[in-house]
Amino acid sequence: MTVEPAVRPDAAGLAAPAWGGFDAARTRGGGAADLRRSFLTAARLGWQMEANWTDPVLFFIYSVAKPLASALILVVMLDVISGGAKPQYRAFVVVGSALWSFVLSGVSGLAWMILDDRERYRMLKYIYVSPSDFLTVIFGRGVARIGVGAMGAAITLAVGVAVLGVPFDVARIDWLLLMAVMVLGVGSILAIGLLLAAICMQTRQESWSYPEAAAGALFLISGVVFPLSVLPQAVQAVGLLTPLTWWIEGIRHALFPGGVSAIGGSGSLYEQLTGAAAPGSGEIVLALLASGAVATLAAVAVFRASDRRAKDRGLFDRTTGS
Amino acid sequence: MSEIGGARRTEDAPGRNAFVYRPTASPQDAAYWSPRQVAMTNLRTVVGRAYPRVSGLFREKSWVFFEILLPFLATSAFVFVYRALQAPPQYIGFVVIGGAMTAFWLNVIWMMAQQLWWEKSQGNLELYFAAPMHIMAVLFGMAVGGFVMSSARAAAVLVIATTLFGVTFAIDQWLLLIGVFLLTLAALYGLGMVLASLFLMWGREAWHLTQLLVEPVYFVSGLNFPVGRLGVLGSVAISILPLAVGLDAMRQLAFADAAYPAGTPSPAVEAAILAGMVVVFLLAARWALATLERRARQEGRLSVRWQ
Repeated sequence: MTVEPAVRPDAAGLAAPAWGGFDAARTRGGGAADLRRSFLTAARLGWQMEANWTDPVLFFIYSVAKPLASALILVVMLDVISGGAKPQYRAFVVVGSALWSFVLSGVSGLAWMILDDRERYRMLKYIYVSPSDFLTVIFGRGVARIGVGAMGAAITLAVGVAVLGVPFDVARIDWLLLMAVMVLGVGSILAIGLLLAAICMQTRQESWSYPEAAAGALFLISGVVFPLSVLPQAVQAVGLLTPLTWWIEGIRHALFPGGVSAIGGSGSLYEQLTGAAAPGSGEIVLALLASGAVATLAAVAVFRASDRRAKDRGLFDRTTGS
Repeated sequence: MSEIGGARRTEDAPGRNAFVYRPTASPQDAAYWSPRQVAMTNLRTVVGRAYPRVSGLFREKSWVFFEILLPFLATSAFVFVYRALQAPPQYIGFVVIGGAMTAFWLNVIWMMAQQLWWEKSQGNLELYFAAPMHIMAVLFGMAVGGFVMSSARAAAVLVIATTLFGVTFAIDQWLLLIGVFLLTLAALYGLGMVLASLFLMWGREAWHLTQLLVEPVYFVSGLNFPVGRLGVLGSVAISILPLAVGLDAMRQLAFADAAYPAGTPSPAVEAAILAGMVVVFLLAARWALATLERRARQEGRLSVRWQ
């Protein structure tokens, strides 16, 4: 009869401290390298979940149909009323609705990750207790959806220029402003997504529609498809506090210099406060930076509170149905 | 009445319900249910499946904020688009009616079309098929529960938006309007039942196709503008999409005093189209479910998850 050794040689590292096999440093993780690995793995998994359900052609149609249809709804609304008499406004709505698909994917990507893994695949609890940083995994999974949204936005813009007659000149693009607002804007979108992910941790299965509902509300106050000046002044003030308003204004300013401003204009709150007809590049970047920083801090605080409450009440393990 | 093995047996009331003990001569006799028993069981199924959706309204308070207030703001955005364009007032009414009807469409695709696939992923579908009830009763229960949920949202959007934006309706034919509304809902939920079967066969694609059925359907249905403006595309939508034909008919009836763009049939004709859709969709749903059940039993796919 062979006696089993107390610790097998190949499992020595996993043995108890009393046997000299446990390394406490292993519980601390590998720092940046671990975070990078977790993020890339989550992003790859997210992309496969988003894209491998069908063939590339159908996936392309799926990715583009939604933002394109949103833009077409607005273009037809515009044509029904103005009969094509306002080409500058057409550019305004096409750019706004294209960018909004990017916002929608960013906002819903993070929240749906929570719902997907908790309600559908029932993996959230395992992901949470795995050595990977939870927040990193959430962002990684959200990146894939953002990628799909970015593709839809780019193609909608291209269709707008090529088919819908949106005036566009590559030579007039303000690349510096475009880069700055894109970096700051994506950060703000992720912050809002994180906020909704925190909310979805607390709610039940029906919260699938919450991200879109929240985005729908932001759609009203962010100057996406109409200038803020048509809103009551109190609502305009709320809109000016939202980073998305400044992000969209910045992109419009960078891609279509001299076009219709969503923030400024005759009778706008911005004009009353500053005396200027529309914000300049510097003001846009500063306002986006400030509002984005506030949104990010708020999102992190809410996420941490939600995380604590979810652990306390066992919400990571909860599935619901109706 | 007697108690045997802890179960309640009512020997003097055989046939009262499926759970009451009936002394029978053979297993075949025991398996036979009277039409009344079948009907009562299916009715209970409808109530039982509608119950979680209706009771859920009162259990998750955040629902009111996310399902009523926020979608109302999204509808308001389109009202402001028309205001920015200085559109005639009836167009704001068109948006409000469209915004109210989206509640039903979203309910149909998210909580009807996708539901059987979802139940399969949750492990409930095999129980549905094994239970002594018709699967149409389950779907009907979902539709009833979903209708109650969506009605609350639609009514809120309609009332708040009408008050806030000063929409004035001019209705001459109330009965026809109510009839069109009910026919639209019946056709929508009938379509949802058909899609439920298809989505179950498509598996994981269903999840993504659900999303594909939102904005593109809004566009071809003329959610925020008269569908007749889309020309041939609008005509095709009227002939196959209950949302398109129902919205168009309701707008014509709700704004009888306004100049409505030509190019679509009269409300009476559209009501007839809707009635036809109801019949076709319900028959198609019945056939699709029977086919699906047979195939699923043959191929053993009722319990295959997350495909």
